[in-house]
Amino acid sequence: MFSKSLKTAAVFSALVVAAILPVKAADFPTRGIEFVAGYGPGGGHDTMLRSMAKIIRETKLVDASINVVNKPGGGGATSLGYLSSHAGDGHYLMAATSSFITTPLTADVGLSYKDFTPIARLGIDPTLLVVPSSSPIKSLDDIKNAGRVLNVAGGGRGQIEHIATIMVSEAMGVKLNFIPFQGDGEVASALLGGQVDFAMINPGAVSEFIKSGRMTAIAISTEERAEMFPDVPTFKEKGYDVVASVFRGVVAAKDIPAEAKAYLTDLVERLQATPEWKTQYLQPNGIIAGYLDADAFAAYLEQTNNIYQTNLSNLGLLKKN
Amino acid sequence: MLDSLSHLMLAFTDVATPENLLLIFVAGLIGTLVGALPGLGPSAGIALMMPLTFGMNPISGLSLLTGVYMGTMYGGRLTAILINTPGDAPAIVTAMEGYPMMQKGQGGQALGISAIASFVGGIFGLLMLIFFAPIIAEYAIFLGPPEYFMLMLLGLSMIIVLAGSDPLKALIATAAGVLLSTIGSDYVSGNVRFAVVPELIEGVDFVAVIIGLFGIGEVLVNVEERIRLNMGKPKFKFSEFIPGWAELRHISFPTLRGSVIGTAIGVLPGAGATIATFIAYITEKKLSRQPDNFGKGASEGLASPEAANNAAVPGSLIPLLTLGIPGSGGTAIMLGALIMFGLNPGPMLMIQSADIVWGTIAGLTIANLFLLASNILLIPVFVNALRLIQNHLNAIVVAFCLVGAFSINYGTFDVWITAIFGIIGYLMKRSNYPTGPFILALVLAPLAENYLRQSIMLGQGSWGIFVQKPLTMTFTILVLGVVAFGLAKAPFTSYLRKKRLQAA
Repeated sequence: MFSKSLKTAAVFSALVVAAILPVKAADFPTRGIEFVAGYGPGGGHDTMLRSMAKIIRETKLVDASINVVNKPGGGGATSLGYLSSHAGDGHYLMAATSSFITTPLTADVGLSYKDFTPIARLGIDPTLLVVPSSSPIKSLDDIKNAGRVLNVAGGGRGQIEHIATIMVSEAMGVKLNFIPFQGDGEVASALLGGQVDFAMINPGAVSEFIKSGRMTAIAISTEERAEMFPDVPTFKEKGYDVVASVFRGVVAAKDIPAEAKAYLTDLVERLQATPEWKTQYLQPNGIIAGYLDADAFAAYLEQTNNIYQTNLSNLGLLKKN
Repeated sequence: MLDSLSHLMLAFTDVATPENLLLIFVAGLIGTLVGALPGLGPSAGIALMMPLTFGMNPISGLSLLTGVYMGTMYGGRLTAILINTPGDAPAIVTAMEGYPMMQKGQGGQALGISAIASFVGGIFGLLMLIFFAPIIAEYAIFLGPPEYFMLMLLGLSMIIVLAGSDPLKALIATAAGVLLSTIGSDYVSGNVRFAVVPELIEGVDFVAVIIGLFGIGEVLVNVEERIRLNMGKPKFKFSEFIPGWAELRHISFPTLRGSVIGTAIGVLPGAGATIATFIAYITEKKLSRQPDNFGKGASEGLASPEAANNAAVPGSLIPLLTLGIPGSGGTAIMLGALIMFGLNPGPMLMIQSADIVWGTIAGLTIANLFLLASNILLIPVFVNALRLIQNHLNAIVVAFCLVGAFSINYGTFDVWITAIFGIIGYLMKRSNYPTGPFILALVLAPLAENYLRQSIMLGQGSWGIFVQKPLTMTFTILVLGVVAFGLAKAPFTSYLRKKRLQAA
């Protein structure tokens, strides 16, 4: 009981401090900035934030000290709860990927993407359609004219690879049999082992297989061809309207002071423009650059939320209210 | 093959600088400590050490990480044997035979046997990695969900062995484990099942359950029965913890069998070390002339799974190094480390960055040697440390367990899970419900479930997928044969035994 009231007092005083802060906000930040990863060390969130911290430190973008903390658990829900407990405080920057949208849609976490302040989108993971190089399938036409239901490997049901597969199937008017696998490694194994006819997967997981000639990429789900794969056509240029990708971005807590938001957006904008960002983060991880500033990112999040809401509702995966 | 040898020899000269040797030695020790802490396993150990490798050259950095990985496998057995608290899932079987030996006053011996078995397993796995990695990886990739499902079935059939005297109670425990395993998000259907609080979205962490069930459950029983461990004399002779020739002969074949099983199953993504230890254990029990000794401190039941456990480390590195596909939580983090060092994990890694890959393998070989030496020499320290705290042992074990539970996700939720399962573990022990089947179901049921559903989906609704390809059919026949034989044999042998008793 006592500790609970202590906690309440602590939260309350934090709120009071947060409310007073804007008055002397000219000297934001007043302490180090915390980067919050919603998954454990080594995961996608963690890798992105640690690369950011490293580049900020090495190129001396700002003086503020930066500390990466992991708040894993609950498909990102733990970190959502953690950041929203710091509403009004601009000293927290959290990695946001598709789980930022999907976890609140599929499970009851009491928060949504609207409870945070979008700062920037830093990159996108589109979906590649890949086949083993020995496959008789050489083009999208071969898939359309296969004459049987093809087996497709991808990430979990309702994830971007599944949604992209549904889009392909609708655009072509053919039936595809999607089989969910856990993680990119299992998808790549299933494709190499001939368990499936083709796979939908993010570029970073297969770029080495493509380079070494063991897999062939047939199409990519971006608007325009990606710099990384200049020879891979988009679905769009082949006449199929399949544009789908997940995002890697950063958000801050709700209701942060304007000065804090300006500081964070400026920091991230300058960070993503450095050559180090490209050579140390985007390229090694196979991520396509796709910077959007705070306002554009906010609009993008709303649009992405709608896409997921429609698709997850069609699949019967939305949380029951 | 000769090519591999010349690469390796060159790599040894690269790695064997004084700084590197010191680094590998320290990495092994840190890994041992991390592995010994309940809740912290290989993934946590590697993740914790990653920041230290920033700025190191790739060979030193990767040797540090693999040294820690190997060290956690040595460490996991310490708490399993000394205080019946497996630090991670692969150590569960170690506790089943090691702790009874400890209770009999043979703790030092148990630590010695398991250290040697670990070493042999590790070296065996390394030899396979050195000479056959590319070949193994190319074949392993042809195994898919139908073969994995059969393997899970084999693992689950182990429940019969762990059942103890009352099959009905074992069945109830199994069903409870299966039920618990269904909590959380399910990637095959995309649904989130029974997540009444957000923390349950990723399911109940089975490490938290293991710590509670074994560690805290044991403490509660000990407190009630005022059990004191038999520690033997405070002064140690080497002969007490270094197994003699007779003992070494006794465990030699079990250790080799465990090594083979560990390498073979460690290669397979997803399944890894845990299943390898269980299958090694069941194999020994089936082959043993005195199966009744199992569960009461049978050294072959300790040696074989320990060998399997450590052989699985190089085993799981095979798909990582040859294809860039991680097969376990630990290797998934190593994948991130490879990228961080500017390497391109994938099918070209062993060709493009041969010096680094072979350097890492050489580092791992050296780590294994260091770990054997340090783990044998430190046995008196471990046992005497336990003796020092014996009067407060229960309190200290509880503290260890709760800190371990906290460190799984750095949150209090898993502490509650551990506490609750501590009480459940106590109640299960009091009323003779076996905990083994419960844990086995919790760990394997979700894997079996997903592989089964993937298989049926691959077959587009047809069960024919299990017999379509010759490889799959071989697996199906083998596994179903083993399971059927085991099922038929159990009632048959108990019938024979009864007959013999009547005759006597």
